[in-house]
Amino acid sequence: MPKQNLVETHNLTKQYGSVRCVSSVNMQVPPGAVYGFLGPNGAGKSTTLKMILGLARPTDGTITLFGTPVNEHNRIKLLAQTGSLIESPSYYGHLTGEENLRIVQTLKGCSAKDIDEVLRIVRLDAARQKLVNHYSLGMKQRLGLAAALLGFPRLLILDEPTNGLDPAGIQEMRELIRSLPDAYGMTILVSSHLLGEIDQMADHVGIIRKGELVYQNALESLHSHAKSQIALRVSHTAIAMDLLRQDGIDISQEEDYLLFPMMDDSYVANLCRRLIAQNISLYRIEKREKSLEDIFLSLTGKETSL
Amino acid sequence: MNISYYKAVKAERLKLKRSPVWLAFFALPMISAFFGTMNYKMNLGILKSEWFSLWSQHSLFLCYFFMPALIGTYCSYLWRLEHTHHNWNSFLTAPIPRFSLYLGKLTQAVQMAVLGNLWIFLLFYVCGRFAGIQSPFPAVAAEWFVCGVLGTVVICCVQLLLSLIIRSFAIPIGIALLGGILGLMITNRDHGLDYPYSIYCMGMRANNPDMTIDIPALVTNSLGYIFIFSFLTILYLHRKEIAAN
Repeated sequence: MPKQNLVETHNLTKQYGSVRCVSSVNMQVPPGAVYGFLGPNGAGKSTTLKMILGLARPTDGTITLFGTPVNEHNRIKLLAQTGSLIESPSYYGHLTGEENLRIVQTLKGCSAKDIDEVLRIVRLDAARQKLVNHYSLGMKQRLGLAAALLGFPRLLILDEPTNGLDPAGIQEMRELIRSLPDAYGMTILVSSHLLGEIDQMADHVGIIRKGELVYQNALESLHSHAKSQIALRVSHTAIAMDLLRQDGIDISQEEDYLLFPMMDDSYVANLCRRLIAQNISLYRIEKREKSLEDIFLSLTGKETSL
Repeated sequence: MNISYYKAVKAERLKLKRSPVWLAFFALPMISAFFGTMNYKMNLGILKSEWFSLWSQHSLFLCYFFMPALIGTYCSYLWRLEHTHHNWNSFLTAPIPRFSLYLGKLTQAVQMAVLGNLWIFLLFYVCGRFAGIQSPFPAVAAEWFVCGVLGTVVICCVQLLLSLIIRSFAIPIGIALLGGILGLMITNRDHGLDYPYSIYCMGMRANNPDMTIDIPALVTNSLGYIFIFSFLTILYLHRKEIAAN
């Protein structure tokens, strides 16, 4: 029997005036997953996450958390099992890091001991008595994560958690997020506009483009789309194309290049001999990798910035 | 609800640590009491009703101008905590009903307003003795205090709604100041109990300790305004959405 998804949205839609920010999104986050929610800036990631958390009301569609459809009556109960860090960390600058966490701990009703534990996890123990106004952006981001971790919720929703961090901080945050499902049995829903980041952190991926979820599956499956091709540039493209088609090869043309699937070395060597025998000059023969970036761009549209 | 309310109140109290805003509640009544007492001492020829005369000098500026602005400042500060540093995200995703979150804020505002009123009456007593008034402290002052507290709760409710909707810190305070001034005019036209900013002044018998007021009407109108403005605030909180940056 398949395990129940921790987060499910059905036709989730959000419209501001005439602008449709999120359009019929059907998201499925399996338990124990690190689900990377990927998309260019302005694609609708934050709005989707805010609807899941009840910070924005859906125009249409439903949200199911932990197998229970969310409504006004059970919202608080479901929120109690959720931790979140949305957009930028929330904090009261005139208070210390520990005092900020004390507020969240009071509201969540979790153990005071959790404060020590989450401060240790995000490595802020030494700065716990420092006013948050004096924290660096990276420290504030880690404090935000610590607040989200308080009570060790079943579901953690993180919106661009590496924003504003330096390279070392980014790497540290990624490793920390990656470790949470095993260490604390959490399910993570994390958004990012960086494919490489999701590739390092997530095991499931959902790609959103202009408000529409254009791809959703295990990350492995996305990797399987990445494939190698051979690119050939010759003096007589049409003749070479006929030759390859006679061999039953699936071929396409991109500018001056003929593209066909990866073949073994002996076939390529034989093909070269046959082309030369027909007085066709061979200018270039290259191996081309279709990277995750290419797949991402083909899914999200090349016109959008990453 | 009770546990949620307790959590919300405790969290609000924690947020107010190191906040200097209470100093205004301490300082402004002192200024008012100082000038009121000086005025009383310099006009003993015409101000002959001892405690009542002194109260008329103490309460005029305090009730009409200072207190609404003070409450306005405090309420603006309470919501400013959430208006800054993306705190709406954490405030509204806390596992606490929004009704309780509002009551947490209201409790802090009312608590400060009650302490402010106690301070005003303490200053009144000390200044009276300092001014040489020998007669016993008037028992009716207890009624002024209770009615005044009810009036301050009304202003707290109005200001909490305004400061929730208006992100600016200063604009709601300006509205409170204008509200107090308008209250003076409305009270002079015998409609003081119908206007939220002047119920406080009427209850405190500001500038006119001999005034008789319709206590049941004051209580009814106060409770009515408290309910209406609290309802609107909770409704606004329920409908509030956090737009994406």
